[in-house]
Amino acid sequence: MRIAVGLIDVSTGEPVQAELFDDVTIEDFLQTQRDWRPLVLEAAQRLTRAGDRPSIIPQHFHWDWTRKEGDLRMLANRFYGIRREDKLQGLAKLMTVGHVCRLPEQAGKPLVYVDYLEVAPWNIKPLMTALGRPHRFAGVGTRLVEIAVRLSVDEGFRGRLGLHSLPTSEPFYINTCAMTPVGPDATKQNLTWCEFTPAQADGFLGR
Amino acid sequence: MADQAKRTMTLNLTDAEMRVLEQLSAQKDLSKTAVIRQAIRLYQLVDARITRGEKLFFEDEDKKAKSELMVL
Repeated sequence: MRIAVGLIDVSTGEPVQAELFDDVTIEDFLQTQRDWRPLVLEAAQRLTRAGDRPSIIPQHFHWDWTRKEGDLRMLANRFYGIRREDKLQGLAKLMTVGHVCRLPEQAGKPLVYVDYLEVAPWNIKPLMTALGRPHRFAGVGTRLVEIAVRLSVDEGFRGRLGLHSLPTSEPFYINTCAMTPVGPDATKQNLTWCEFTPAQADGFLGR
Repeated sequence: MADQAKRTMTLNLTDAEMRVLEQLSAQKDLSKTAVIRQAIRLYQLVDARITRGEKLFFEDEDKKAKSELMVL
């Protein structure tokens, strides 16, 4: 699958097209290591030297996609990437088994679990601000959440979606996407479990 | 996404198997096809992890009991 999705070019404020694809390969994983990690480390070093707590550093930056090659063969996993200007702008790993809903009104029902979602560091405004550079594209994370909701609908899960949010990502999932923060999960480093009901998913897609 | 081509097959089930499929379908708010697809994915996932040497356990915290599930 390769379809066009819209992003915003922050330098012009204009909408631009990017490519959403699901035939993610190990080469895409390697690209995150090669292109993304150095920028994140540079920002972390700069913030540390300046005496700031690098709280804006994405806490999943240490995630090593190259260890996930075996996951590509599992039917339970779905990978999606967004590409623009020959560069990977965002990557997500979704799971269709292994997790169920926790909100009381839909407890035990199946959902699509967002195991991992990351956007390229040059699309993270606070990170690029720390480096004194403008960020490139807005909307990458939203497009990836959108594809997760659409997968949920397609799987017959009616848009139900769940994830463990890293603290730095909570404003995005809770405020921007309007997911319900169910609470900290003691089995997952107390990360906040967030969930979409079908109605919330509908609302998200309809915006 | 609905982009992936799907193939159709006939599935022969006993009455008991069909009853279980219907129960799961109702409980999980899924179509029967979706239940079967979930089952295949779960089976593949479990099989892959067991093949690489991991074990699958059920744990009852109240009874402090833990039992390994053997998967064909």
